[in-house]
Amino acid sequence: MTTNAIPTDAKVSADGLAVFDRTTSRWGRLTMLMGLALSLAGPIYIVFFAGLDVGISQVLVAFLAVAATFGVLWVIEPVTYYPILGQSSMYQAFMIGNIANKLIPAALTAQTAIDAKPGTRRAELSAVSAISGAVIIHIASLLIFVGLLGTWLLSNLPPDIMQVMKTFIVPAVLGAVHVQALMHLKQPRTALIAVLVSATVVFVISPMVPGFGMYGTVLAVLSTVALAWFLRKRTTPTDAQAS
Amino acid sequence: MTYAPIAQQAVTTPGDVLAYANLPFLWLVAVGVFAVIIGQTVIYMRAVRKAAPAAEMSTGDISTSVRAGAISAIGPSLAVVVVAIAMLATLGTPGVLVRVGLIGSAKYEVGAASIAAGTAGGTFGGEGYTPEIFAIAFAAISLGGAMWLIGALVLTPLLKKGDVALSRTNPKLLSIIPAAAMLAAFFCLGFQQFVISSTHIFAYLGSAAGMALCIWLTRFTGKKWIAEWSQGIAIVAGLAVAYFITVAS
Repeated sequence: MTTNAIPTDAKVSADGLAVFDRTTSRWGRLTMLMGLALSLAGPIYIVFFAGLDVGISQVLVAFLAVAATFGVLWVIEPVTYYPILGQSSMYQAFMIGNIANKLIPAALTAQTAIDAKPGTRRAELSAVSAISGAVIIHIASLLIFVGLLGTWLLSNLPPDIMQVMKTFIVPAVLGAVHVQALMHLKQPRTALIAVLVSATVVFVISPMVPGFGMYGTVLAVLSTVALAWFLRKRTTPTDAQAS
Repeated sequence: MTYAPIAQQAVTTPGDVLAYANLPFLWLVAVGVFAVIIGQTVIYMRAVRKAAPAAEMSTGDISTSVRAGAISAIGPSLAVVVVAIAMLATLGTPGVLVRVGLIGSAKYEVGAASIAAGTAGGTFGGEGYTPEIFAIAFAAISLGGAMWLIGALVLTPLLKKGDVALSRTNPKLLSIIPAAAMLAAFFCLGFQQFVISSTHIFAYLGSAAGMALCIWLTRFTGKKWIAEWSQGIAIVAGLAVAYFITVAS
């Protein structure tokens, strides 16, 4: 193949893109597996080799509770993002995280900037380039502001501020999450069911049953999913057939 | 229930957990994850350059795309930094770098860590946040995060072939069930904070007010960067309210 081959030559173009698909799927998968192994190495070390009294069954129970709550997203999110990201970017995006709030806007901005039509190979390469640009900025800001500045902050912040950051981080995150969920309501019916079920579980059932608290979230999630499904709006005849 | 002042609730000092959360091995792992992602980016960019002519893409198009991606990532990246710093006292620096900065997100990690700590009879960050509870929560959120990667690894080749049964199922199922699970999990976890102490309620309200103000300002001014920063602003607002109540009492 000559380097100055005209790109409209279909054969050349198909070859070049086949190489791209092979490289990105092979190396994308390999690097993702490495990231996966590394992200698990930390907790494995802490649980087994740090001299703490933690049983594998405790970790398993905790994981099952997390799975019961968020497990459905492990399947839904890849399926949702695939049409936007394409094969190659999937392996980038799921390792970097912050997909919806950062990577997808970055990819769309780049595609608009070079006027690439969604669904074309040009748009796919543009998305990969944009995500790579976003990765550079993201990695740099994390290393500088969290890695270096964070380490300095941890050893210099007054203990009472540290204590407050530690004790109140959960309500300080969840207050914002609730308002966001309610203001961007796409499913008011589901939200209402979730609020009523959660309030019943936390304020009515938990105080009556000692030691129930830890299973409260799982119960609330499972009941809300069931109720939201059976009480869903059935307007069009196609929905009735589908269910 | 009794609302004990926070000074009496503080059974453990942050130092206990952080001694484990900042172990050198965890730093090594965090650096490793960064290295893998940088390596992946280099390989991908070389692949893009090679394939560009075949996709009728010029060198200028590539640099424009990289620049556009980088510039649009500045705001969100710094916003993630604020959230990450707020979580340093609970997860430690290497844990925050990997779980909040990369792979995961603050919302999911906080939710999952609270659930995990609850199954072991503790709380995430609050009373009884011992090194053991940290270990269980950290392991559970890491395993949960790993499942997202496994989901992407398993489903991407299947989706490429276009033969995933899921895409043929009822689209209502795909929109209602995840929304119901997320809403129930976050509302339940939030309400559970209400019964811990009155300061927890005020921290929650401070954060909620911060987010409401951000959303209103975004709509009022039309400036999108406010929405980007809303989570960080709200968390700082919630923590500030809790701090002033703690200091005043």
